[in-house]
Amino acid sequence: MASSQEELDRLKKSYVAVGAALFVFTVVTVFTAHWWHPFGPVMGWRDVVLGLIIATVKSSLVALIFMHLNHERGLVYKVLTFTFYFFLGLMALTLFALFDPIPEAFDAIQNALR
Amino acid sequence: MEIPYEVTARRDTGLYNAKIGVWLFLASEVMLFGGLFSAYVFLRVGTQPGFDNPWPMGINVQKIWPGFINTLVLIASSVFVVFAWVALKERKWQVFQRWMWGVILCAVIFMGFKAYEYSDKLLNHHDVKLVDNSILGGKILDRTHKIRFAAEEVTVDFSGGIPGFIGEIDEDAGDVEFTVVEGADEDDPKTVKLSQFKKWFSTQRREAMAEAVAEKMKRRKGTWEEGKDEPAVTKAKLTAKFNMHVDPHYIVQRNEETLNYRDRTTVKGKLIDDSIKLELHNINLQMIPMQQQDAVLAWKLIHESTGNDDIKKQVLETRDSRIEGIKKYYEDGVVPVKALRGPYVNYHNLHDSHGHDHGHDHSHGDAHAGDHGSEEAGGGHHGETIVTIPRDQARFVTNHGPRAGTYYAIYFTMTGLHGLHVIGGALVLAYFLFFGKRIYLKNPEHLANRVEVGGLFWHFVDLVWIFLFPIMYLM
Repeated sequence: MASSQEELDRLKKSYVAVGAALFVFTVVTVFTAHWWHPFGPVMGWRDVVLGLIIATVKSSLVALIFMHLNHERGLVYKVLTFTFYFFLGLMALTLFALFDPIPEAFDAIQNALR
Repeated sequence: MEIPYEVTARRDTGLYNAKIGVWLFLASEVMLFGGLFSAYVFLRVGTQPGFDNPWPMGINVQKIWPGFINTLVLIASSVFVVFAWVALKERKWQVFQRWMWGVILCAVIFMGFKAYEYSDKLLNHHDVKLVDNSILGGKILDRTHKIRFAAEEVTVDFSGGIPGFIGEIDEDAGDVEFTVVEGADEDDPKTVKLSQFKKWFSTQRREAMAEAVAEKMKRRKGTWEEGKDEPAVTKAKLTAKFNMHVDPHYIVQRNEETLNYRDRTTVKGKLIDDSIKLELHNINLQMIPMQQQDAVLAWKLIHESTGNDDIKKQVLETRDSRIEGIKKYYEDGVVPVKALRGPYVNYHNLHDSHGHDHGHDHSHGDAHAGDHGSEEAGGGHHGETIVTIPRDQARFVTNHGPRAGTYYAIYFTMTGLHGLHVIGGALVLAYFLFFGKRIYLKNPEHLANRVEVGGLFWHFVDLVWIFLFPIMYLM
């Protein structure tokens, strides 16, 4: 952890740099969403992926620099590793549900609405 | 008593205790927001075109600039928090205070924009889904989402709660005086003012219910004498003339002369008007199969209100040009069914040359041609097109609140929960700002540790917003 004045000065510089980078990435996010499409209102999967990649880069910067995860103790990483796998499990449950459309029931609903 | 490991690190963990505590808490927060993010994915991907309310692209229905500014504000506040922490490490109390004030100011600005966004959605944006599932979006004018009714006679039922109709009487009617015609005792007042209505109703209800219980007891005991004993009176009829704006949700049945409330009140009089006046902003035909989109009810109503088909022509032309664009975009792949349902067309952008259009609509020379005619015929103010929608043609009328569809429901849930986190984080950091001096004077490192922990939470709130902004406002 930071103790000497030189180290604190170095930290301050990195905070300013990261803040500026986050500002720039925010502008880039809005710019891509606004101006990429020749026809406007439909979002392709590429744009979703791009938007999420930018968001992931931004959040990584926040986590690594602002939240000091670039030089943290082992126990914190252990806690976060558990969280990460639980989070993946949570998202996997959603995907399992989405890829299990229960065809008979779905057809029945469609027939009823027809 | 000294609490151990507040300042110094434990030897086994290498961390002071609060830091482990906050990381465990943040882990649980990741799961909380993770659950909501997975709900978002589930709702979005699971939207069935043609069956469910269409899932809008954020960029079409949100104002981008408040979300954009809020993102920058939160990033700035994150920078301020780490600078405040550094100031404590450098033992500069006043510098710390300045940065902390910056953080609190950022939180206030953030919540201010949030309040603006919420109120704008709830008050200025409405959707009317017509009976054939075409959706007209815009702003409902002059409270016309309510039934306008001229009341002359009211029958209240004492077996229910305080009648809801008293809240729907027009304000300009003043303190309406009701004349009691039937159902109250002779020694009771013959008139009752609106301001005294609740009290009058409660008193009458108490008496009526006591009578009803007495009657029931007599009948049960077999001492009731038919013809001699008088049955309990549980209703009262009152007369007064006043106009009302009635919320259709409270009405179970109605016709030109009568409104029957859910709370068993009956209001008799005359229906003044029951059509919705909508300042048209957009047209959404995503629930209608493409081949039927040129014959929907929306066009009929717009034609009746404007006297011409210019809007229909503009919107369908724009739709076709956009679908061409979509097909080109997916030239090497498969075009999603949702895309071919026809995009959401924002009439405002077609119609307002200063609007922020995403496409090439302005290049259409004829895109503006019909506007002037339609304004005059539609009788709109500020050059808007006003569409009149009879209530029986509207299936669902809503503002852009959580009930407007799954998108709005998850939007309000996630941003609302995030907003609560902003408030909570700001309160904790404000506590360090206003009451931290004592700890600072005792041991500055202790306060620095506390601010670091509070800051970790604040950065997490920022991190959640970094994902919320693109998925809710742009995608």
